[in-house]
Amino acid sequence: MIRSDLLAKASGATEFGTDLAEPEMLWAALVLAPIAHGRIRRVDLSKARAMPGVHAVVGAEETARLLGPGAGDPERPLFPSTEVRYRGQPLAAVAASSLAEARAAARAVQMEFDPLPIAGDLEEVVAEWPGSEAGSDPRMIAHVRASNGDLGEEFRLAEFVHAETYRTNGVAQVALEPHACVAKVDVGRWFVRTSTQTPFGIREDASSILGVPEASLVVEGSWVGGGFGGKTAALVEPYALLLSAATGRWVRLSLSYTEEFVLGRSTLPAVVRLESAVRAGRVTARRVRLLLDTGASLPGRDFATGYAIGFLLGPYRSDAFDIEGYAVRTNKPPFGPHRAPFAPQCSFVADSHMDSIARRLGVDPVAFRLAHVWRAGDVTPLGQAVGPFGLAECLEKAGALLAIWRRELPTADGFGLGVGCGYWSTNAGAGGEALLRLSPNELTIDQGEREIGSGSVVRGLVAVAERVLKIPSDAVRVGYSDTSRAPFDSGVFGSRTVGALGQAVEKAARRLATELGRRLGTSDPATLARDDDQLVAISGAVRRPVRELLTSEELRAGGLEFPGQHAAPPGRIDDSRVGAGTFYPYTDFTGAAHVALVHVDRATGAVRVLRYAAFHDAGVVIDPATFRAQVEGGVAMGLGSALTEETLWGPDGRLLNPSLLDYRIPTLGEVPPIEVHAVPGHPGAGPFGAKGLGEPPIIPVPAAVANAVADATGARVREMPLTPERVARTLNLLASGGTGRG
Amino acid sequence: MGFTLVAPDQPKEACALLARSAPGEISVLAGGTDVLPDVEAGRVRPSRLLSLRRLPWRTLGWNGGSLTIGSTLPLREIEADPGVRERIPGLAQAVHAVGSLALRHRATLGGNLGRAAPTSDLLPILLTLDAVVNLVGVDASRSVPVDQFVVASRSTTLRPGELIASITIPEARPSQYVWQRVRPSNDISQVGVAAARASRPPYWRIALGGVVPRSIRLEGAERLLPAVRPLVSELEAAAALAARLAPFATDKRASEAYRRQLVGILVRRAVASISPPIVPPVGVA
Ligand SMILES: Cc1cc2nc3c(=O)[nH]c(=O)nc-3n(C[C@H](O)[C@H](O)[C@H](O)COP(=O)(O)OP(=O)(O)OC[C@H]3O[C@@H](n4cnc5c(N)ncnc54)[C@H](O)[C@@H]3O)c2cc1C
Repeated sequence: MIRSDLLAKASGATEFGTDLAEPEMLWAALVLAPIAHGRIRRVDLSKARAMPGVHAVVGAEETARLLGPGAGDPERPLFPSTEVRYRGQPLAAVAASSLAEARAAARAVQMEFDPLPIAGDLEEVVAEWPGSEAGSDPRMIAHVRASNGDLGEEFRLAEFVHAETYRTNGVAQVALEPHACVAKVDVGRWFVRTSTQTPFGIREDASSILGVPEASLVVEGSWVGGGFGGKTAALVEPYALLLSAATGRWVRLSLSYTEEFVLGRSTLPAVVRLESAVRAGRVTARRVRLLLDTGASLPGRDFATGYAIGFLLGPYRSDAFDIEGYAVRTNKPPFGPHRAPFAPQCSFVADSHMDSIARRLGVDPVAFRLAHVWRAGDVTPLGQAVGPFGLAECLEKAGALLAIWRRELPTADGFGLGVGCGYWSTNAGAGGEALLRLSPNELTIDQGEREIGSGSVVRGLVAVAERVLKIPSDAVRVGYSDTSRAPFDSGVFGSRTVGALGQAVEKAARRLATELGRRLGTSDPATLARDDDQLVAISGAVRRPVRELLTSEELRAGGLEFPGQHAAPPGRIDDSRVGAGTFYPYTDFTGAAHVALVHVDRATGAVRVLRYAAFHDAGVVIDPATFRAQVEGGVAMGLGSALTEETLWGPDGRLLNPSLLDYRIPTLGEVPPIEVHAVPGHPGAGPFGAKGLGEPPIIPVPAAVANAVADATGARVREMPLTPERVARTLNLLASGGTGRG
Repeated sequence: MGFTLVAPDQPKEACALLARSAPGEISVLAGGTDVLPDVEAGRVRPSRLLSLRRLPWRTLGWNGGSLTIGSTLPLREIEADPGVRERIPGLAQAVHAVGSLALRHRATLGGNLGRAAPTSDLLPILLTLDAVVNLVGVDASRSVPVDQFVVASRSTTLRPGELIASITIPEARPSQYVWQRVRPSNDISQVGVAAARASRPPYWRIALGGVVPRSIRLEGAERLLPAVRPLVSELEAAAALAARLAPFATDKRASEAYRRQLVGILVRRAVASISPPIVPPVGVA
């Protein structure tokens, strides 16, 4: 069976955001700040207005005029009027008859600034560790802390303290399709068709940015050419809407790929310092400090630090700990969530650290992890109960496979094996609502999400209906409508779609099955099958065409309808352990253990991943093909973060590699054969016991690769990605008697 | 971004068209893998593109030990040619290093030389092979050694109205091209090293890519190697000298220090794969 969206995608027929067009539409371009930090002296739009083909040029003043004084969120102005905070910040926007004219006019805007000092480098802040108390430092815009147990006592009793500092770099989104939309404002109706993971989220965001009531805003999702978190917040939409309000015309705004790299919400660098007290072969206490570059994000708007901090202890028991994180404001663009936000980076740190302690103790790294790993019934460091959780079993299986691969390992220099662990938890969030409609020959799932590529909507939801009703998948259609008509759902992110929306489908399908059973005159739920192009309902020996079971009103209305809702009960954190900031009590823990076989060229530092295996607890796998595809894709993407992908920033706040030539995602040449294994038996809260899988596969990859490099060479590379130069530097240090080992 | 495409089928006609056009008004289009991104990004704004696809230059031919490759032959056909692979392996390796398979189905040798990028993977091997660039103009043809043809990044000794017709490699030489990149496939080399053994002195030719303003021969290192098989110590000395003298700089792709480290390694590997160095018996210096 071929997934329903794939033929159109492979043949180029699918209309993605960048394909959107309307007759007579205008083309938009943004005017971007050419400096990273400065006071605005002048943004003069007059020359741009006089350029050929230009219909409107809007800046801060025009925006106030168009939207009304005081409209919109003063903390998130469309255009700043006094200060530029990052290079690439939009200062004005142009609508013109063609893209070339819009861009030419954008170039004609004249700007003057009084430069201000650029805060770009996390290392400057690190240099002051552990001196001044960070709390009073104006660069620190958020502080989170959690602790438990008697740290001092454990560190006193420790046989040794293992202390390391790790660094991670920024990863860009690199969805093949940049942010793109078309918008049209008519009296009282602000409409935007856009490529987004969260149509309802865009509505909420655009409403607050523009100061337009949600009831007047309609967001329609287009097909999405990849969304990894970058398409969960309004970006191009408010500008396109504003320009349409200014011109009365359809306006299209699509970022160029260079702009996408700058504005598309990359993640940014982080530095982590860890100290672990070790006694009798166990980690007894941990102290962790995180500095997270959050770019020009706003104070108080930072969700990230608590989120990241949660992952830094890894999926390992810790009775005594003190973790603390600071968000550092820099003159880089605001950052955003990227597939499993911070988890691959934190897993790289936490799991490299565990591996490093195991090697220092001279014990098997897998057995060492097994002695610490959470199991069902455990309590996380933040006091959350761990439900069904198969990570220990994933680890055991990974360890067994590693032992086999070790026996087959070439004896030549430079080969090595490593394991990486990761965990995730999902947030079903508000809502999860779907409407099932059964007509004589088709079952429609009406809902408010667009497929982002993973298959969670077009395949995941269908697989749920298929399981409940036994209906052939090609008789199920996923319907979509815009935010004015679709049932609410919070979006395709956080690995939540199948878990939340899938449950809504499951509930609606069960009601439908029961009702059909009733109409067949049995007390059992019915199933559906196809007879020619008609659907028939079956219960035991009773079998009747659906057409005959529907009332004439139902037939007229398009079918028999059943809604289903889902709202997940939140998890609980032990507040007595929280010192500052917000932590997120997500539920449904999923775990994965990966095995990497690498070859390291000791002279050049080049790392090749030759063989790879992934063991995943995804609860009950409801669609094996999608499961495999998600894991393979996640591993491939993780190999990029592990080995080659990083955003490079100049001292002037410029992104130095905003192109696919210098920002290196893996090609097929870098992706080895991947074994994919499901580890069942630990059901989640999703339909039939499914757990989320969108994000987990990317998480353990950097740790698995780094641990394999350590195994191959004895060198611990404490910064990702592990580019040849970084690996070579660590190996050189090792050769000269430095401290690469650990 | 509008332009018209012209595709003459006579070299003289193409040259005449070029000669008649004002600079910047016309761009030569071979595979287009450099030119089209430039047009797209607005780095050049020609009103006409002169396509070379109908010119009779998609050729590859041997004349005894000498090989002539037409300037518009896609790179893929060079690396796939059994004769090239067997007789000038370094050329096949260098061509294979360029971009991706898809790119090599379009990109050409003429385009690579026309662009004259300091990061070219082809210039180092062509330098070690003493390649000659055959040019045609409106009135005359001439041949220029590749060493004199490429001046600096995007700068060649091509005269107005001239086109590269072909490249001649006078002698098939045992040769090797080795390179290092952040990402093994489809990336720009941080450093590339080509080596070839010639039938006359200097017997060893070693050239370096990834240096600004263009690839160079490492003549000092070449001189430290004997005619046939070097001793390990001779190879080490040559590699060390190459690393010391290479005119490297730091950029976003690599630091100077790392490039220096790479050159030593790559020189050693390139030479050793052509001619494994002699390990002296124990007790002999
Ligand atoms: C993704 C990507 C990866 C790349 N990777 C590599 C790499 O790994 N190694 C590497 O060396 N290069 C690489 N390149 C650069 C480029 O593809 C090569 O240099 C290629 O050989 C250019 O050939 P072309 O036929 O496409 O040239 P074109 O783009 O058609 O032309 C390039 C230039 O040469 C001129 N020109 C072309 N033919 C002639 C002629 N017959 N006479 C006179 N002038 C001529 C053109 O006017 C133009 O200025 C890469 C490029 C891309 C886009």
